[in-house]
Amino acid sequence: MSAIEALYIFDEHNNLILNHTYIGRPPPPSTLLPLYLQHASPRPSLIYLPTTNPPTLLYSMIQDNLLFFSPLSSDTEPLLVLEFLHRVADALEEFLGSPLLASKITANYDVVAQVIAEIADGGVPCQGEANALRDVVETGPGVLNNLLGKVGLPGGSAPGLQGGPSGRLHTPPLRPAETAQGSAVPWRRSNVRHTSNELYVDLVETLSVTLAPSGRPLSAFAYGSIAFTSKVSGVPDLLLSLSTGGKGGGMGNRGDQLRSVIERVVFHPCVRLNRWNSDGVLSFVPPDGRFALCGYEVDLLGPDAPLTAGKTAANNLNLPAMVEITTGLGSSGSDFEVRMTQPSSSSSRAGSAAAASLQSNLGSGSRPGSFRAGSGGGESKGSALENLTVRVPLPAGVRNISDMRPSKGEAHWNPADGSVEWKVPSKDFGPAGVVLRCTVQGPLSDADEAGGMLNGVTATTYDYTDDEPATYQSQHDSDSTAGGTNGAQDNSRTRAQKNRALMPTSTTLSFSIKGWLASGLKVESLLVDTKKSRGLGPEVKPYKGVKYLTVSRDGIEVRC
Amino acid sequence: MESISRISSLLETARDLTLEAARDAGPRKPSRPLPVPQIKKLLDSRTERDVLDGLRRVISMQYANPPQPTLTFFPAVLKTLSTPYPSTRPLVYNYLIHHAEQDPDTALLSINTIQKSLSDSNPRVRAMALKTMSGIRIPMISQIVSLAVKKGVSDLSPLVRKAAALACVKCIRLDDTTRPQVEEYLATLLLDKQYYVAGAAVQAFIEVCPERLDLIHPAYRRLCKMVVDMDEWGQLALIRLMTVYARKCFPRRTKRARRAQTREEKEKGFYEDLEPKDEEEAGYDDVEVTDPDLVLFLTSIQPLLQSRNSAVIVAVTRAYLYLSPTTHLLHATGPLIALLRSPQDIQQVALHNILQVCLNDPSQFVPYLLHFLIRSTEPPQIRGLKFELLTLIFPHSGKECQDLILAELEHFSHSHDADLVGESVRAIGRCAQASLARTSRRCLSLLLKQIHSADSNLVGEAIEVIRHLIQRSPNEHRKTVIRLAKNLDTLTSSSARASIIWLVGEFVGTEGEDSIAADVLRILVKGYAAEADEVRAQIILLAAKVYLGFCNTRNAASKKSATDSRSVEEESYEQMDDANNNGDFNGDALAGDEPTHPIELLYNYTMLLARYTPSYDLRDRARLYRALLAVPTSTELASLILWAPKPVPVAQSPGEARRKFLLGSAGLIVGAGGLQGTYTLPEWVGEGEEPDSKLRDEGEEAREYVPVAGRDKVVSAGSRLDEALGADAVRAKNKSLDDWLDEESEGESEETEEEEEEESSGEEESGSEEESEEESEEEGDERSGLVR
Repeated sequence: MSAIEALYIFDEHNNLILNHTYIGRPPPPSTLLPLYLQHASPRPSLIYLPTTNPPTLLYSMIQDNLLFFSPLSSDTEPLLVLEFLHRVADALEEFLGSPLLASKITANYDVVAQVIAEIADGGVPCQGEANALRDVVETGPGVLNNLLGKVGLPGGSAPGLQGGPSGRLHTPPLRPAETAQGSAVPWRRSNVRHTSNELYVDLVETLSVTLAPSGRPLSAFAYGSIAFTSKVSGVPDLLLSLSTGGKGGGMGNRGDQLRSVIERVVFHPCVRLNRWNSDGVLSFVPPDGRFALCGYEVDLLGPDAPLTAGKTAANNLNLPAMVEITTGLGSSGSDFEVRMTQPSSSSSRAGSAAAASLQSNLGSGSRPGSFRAGSGGGESKGSALENLTVRVPLPAGVRNISDMRPSKGEAHWNPADGSVEWKVPSKDFGPAGVVLRCTVQGPLSDADEAGGMLNGVTATTYDYTDDEPATYQSQHDSDSTAGGTNGAQDNSRTRAQKNRALMPTSTTLSFSIKGWLASGLKVESLLVDTKKSRGLGPEVKPYKGVKYLTVSRDGIEVRC
Repeated sequence: MESISRISSLLETARDLTLEAARDAGPRKPSRPLPVPQIKKLLDSRTERDVLDGLRRVISMQYANPPQPTLTFFPAVLKTLSTPYPSTRPLVYNYLIHHAEQDPDTALLSINTIQKSLSDSNPRVRAMALKTMSGIRIPMISQIVSLAVKKGVSDLSPLVRKAAALACVKCIRLDDTTRPQVEEYLATLLLDKQYYVAGAAVQAFIEVCPERLDLIHPAYRRLCKMVVDMDEWGQLALIRLMTVYARKCFPRRTKRARRAQTREEKEKGFYEDLEPKDEEEAGYDDVEVTDPDLVLFLTSIQPLLQSRNSAVIVAVTRAYLYLSPTTHLLHATGPLIALLRSPQDIQQVALHNILQVCLNDPSQFVPYLLHFLIRSTEPPQIRGLKFELLTLIFPHSGKECQDLILAELEHFSHSHDADLVGESVRAIGRCAQASLARTSRRCLSLLLKQIHSADSNLVGEAIEVIRHLIQRSPNEHRKTVIRLAKNLDTLTSSSARASIIWLVGEFVGTEGEDSIAADVLRILVKGYAAEADEVRAQIILLAAKVYLGFCNTRNAASKKSATDSRSVEEESYEQMDDANNNGDFNGDALAGDEPTHPIELLYNYTMLLARYTPSYDLRDRARLYRALLAVPTSTELASLILWAPKPVPVAQSPGEARRKFLLGSAGLIVGAGGLQGTYTLPEWVGEGEEPDSKLRDEGEEAREYVPVAGRDKVVSAGSRLDEALGADAVRAKNKSLDDWLDEESEGESEETEEEEEEESSGEEESGSEEESEEESEEEGDERSGLVR
């Protein structure tokens, strides 16, 4: 009933690259794919196909341009299947390295086959933890490590690590005696050995901010995740404390403070919930390698921000960049203008964008467990704004953008998805702000009018397709006025009205900043509990690193 | 929670995929296809490296697209099983499972070797062998598999026991006749002390025999305590199982408890003890009493709300929604909202589930309003669900929130996307419908503002919704109709015009002489030729209605006057009838004949216009009305048809249609019933029909007796066997336990007794609700203490 029947993976050109059937006789991928592609993109993750034999519920997921399919003939919990697909992607990535590529899968069918067979036994999902799979999946003895190793380690992601045997797939072959009893910790593979012991904490926050036309934030959330990389021998027991950076003060002990700031937290199963609930610290035995430790969200407006009234300016959000959009400009109202500015409070931050020390080296120095502030005076100084992009979606009626004038950066019109994309290099983005002005062109049906504009002829053409009400009304209005100017006025008004339908209603801003978190959250300390840990000598002092990153992927939306 | 691969992709954005791909194509790619004999040679080699290389090639061929024939390697591959290298075994097993069905005879040759591995010293090897053996799809070997599972069930290593649990599923699939044995194994495994074994056992149980709830009783409490430690899939299976179990084993009881008294009442009670009881009846409330075992389950799954797995969170919510919506469901709200930050594929499913919970109790989602604001980048499916959530929340939220929601909806009603406009306007309509008169008026004025928009699509949608609103309470909206009618001068959208004309027509009957309808008709008829067919049809209908109203009032007046003076009037009317009858067919001739009332003239004129309309549908309609109204004195039939009371349109929330689906089921998402394997929750078991709660005590006992895990297996397996033989045996056993703990059985009286006691104590001692609840809890504690 809740068994997975099959797993199909397609590459970015929709070529089948993996076809694994667990049980039964599910419809083949060749019949499912066209039915899936029938739906308009973005396609729903669950599609019911009553015409196949047997009638099929088709679950799909896209990861790294690969399309994952799982057809089921019976009603199952949909999230179970989708989570399963995500786990498959995670597991494959653990073994094949990130990002997942079609060529990696086709070149390593033996590993992939084992992973897929182990993650669900006879279709019953039974192992969700990629790291634990390392105990059961044979990647082969030493000979092949070189080959696999090159696949496994993504270039440039962690250049310092390649020397050590800590990388993926550098694991020495498992000797039966060692793995005999299996790992005591179900999510951690057994017998972890690393020559250089390292711990990395990556805090990533994704922004989701909506601003009203007045510039007042309607909602502002930061969705955070803590990605943790552990390369420590034995079974370490870690204690990670976060601090709120002053927010939520006066809320009792630190745990309460923290919980008042980061809400709706979800954890990897390794985190001890009791410690979190009592002290507000994360105490856990990590899986080996990289994993998602925790997910949370922060309401950047604070809990008691007024919903409608009040003048909470967007400045309070402390965002590194802000966008305004003005529409209906120009003589015929066919222009709109996007202005990107730096809120005053954050101008100092991006000034020193060159500061590159993003990983504050900690632990090896003076006090164990406390971070040596690598960039002095707080992270904000070392933050760097990157990938500054503004996207303005335009209505389908817009035929072309006749004129784009960015004061800095590059703008281009993408007719396929009907939007203007404007990229600004961060070095050009100063406190003065940057401006983009565009002129839109309407649909071809009133080509006469557009032609008139293009030729620079002032509007003398009468619009015959004009809707009646406008003329009707204007006749009313202009009964008293002289008839001579009537036509021209009338025309420009209708044109403005028409152009209003071509104006964008919103714009979105994307960027990423390293070294800064919208929530102000900080890693306070990361301790290895030497008493509880096993297989880790007391003299071992792992290298600890922390990285902060705030990303907005079309996350800041300004309406107009 | 976002999966780690997605977080990584955020962190390493700058990575160049193409470069990576180019580099990646390097070392591993050139596994040049070798000719078949050469691969065979590799397989036959003595070095591990060559054998492994050969196997890899075979597996790659097997998965390649299009698949290459690999069956020919079967004997060669099987031969490698004899090599001592551990690295080759998983690949051989994989090959075996894949090909066994196609060549069962060859596959059978391997069974012996695998059986040998079943008693290997390494538990991983044993587990893998068990897994492989049960995976071979040859029904012939079902008995061997069953034996192997039996051996695995009593294995010392939990790894093997877990494999055995999962093998049970495959064993049943292979051959259904092994079911009795398999159920026996599962009963043992369900009692396993190792949580991941128990978790796998629950998964298997759900697959194999979900209806054998009697196997669960002894394991119930322990499973509840272990659920936190299980892996996600085990948790999912357990929650699903226990939700059904709870419905079947814990009858829904209500206890009559005293409502918390006000001080006055207390004083009164103090001084006037002897007041007759029936007066106090009002002071009692029906309070739901939850079985302590059910409470155990509900509280033990609460930590799972912080799981990273969205399916688990929804499963817990489902358990709360269907088992204890009043007390526990609140805890699940926040975690459900947390699902909105998951990847888009999960987000959509999560929203469907949130909607389902929201339909049940919208008020608890009000604080999370801001999470439901729509973003322009969202796909339409998600947008629609969010609109619906906003409208559901609307009547329950405060003024500020309502303002925000309306502003949000208004913003999207100006969008360029026609679907989005329609959706948002309809959402405003639903808001208006669901709320009080004052807010409803605000929504209406918001909609009325939209009429002047240049976007004809928006206007059409808005008028449609306004029409619905007006129909709901016609008497309050006379003025609105007049306002709308004024707009007929300017409106262009034909559907909007048609809607307004229809509305005007509906008010003819109620307003009588004051109606503006006749005037509206007069103006409209002038522009008849320029209207769309949709509007023309409504004009004709309006004419019929106006004329009908006119006839009715005249008839009423004539009846009145008829009592006074009959003779003359009647004659004249008869004449008129004749005239009209003729007039219908040759109106032109008669028009000048008799100076009639302007309305009559108007009607005749409209019918004439209709007669020469190109659309035959319209001509038909006109003919119908003409026939209906042919005799102005008998208009009963026409009134019945034209003024039939229209049902009030209720714009239902679209999610309402999916309400019957279970939370977290696929049916809920696709909105289609009749999916195969749809499972439904049973009704609550009736009072007194539930299994004895003592059945659940037993598992604890078993643990008491045999502390060592290994022995535990053996002993409890035997006891399980007894239990399977018949319920009587269990009863007998229980009795003996009772004797042993007779004190306990005294304390733990029958449920009915307990209730009686509580009731009587409630009446006599005037104990408050909390007190009596505490009492029962204490009792429960006592009991469990004794058992331990």
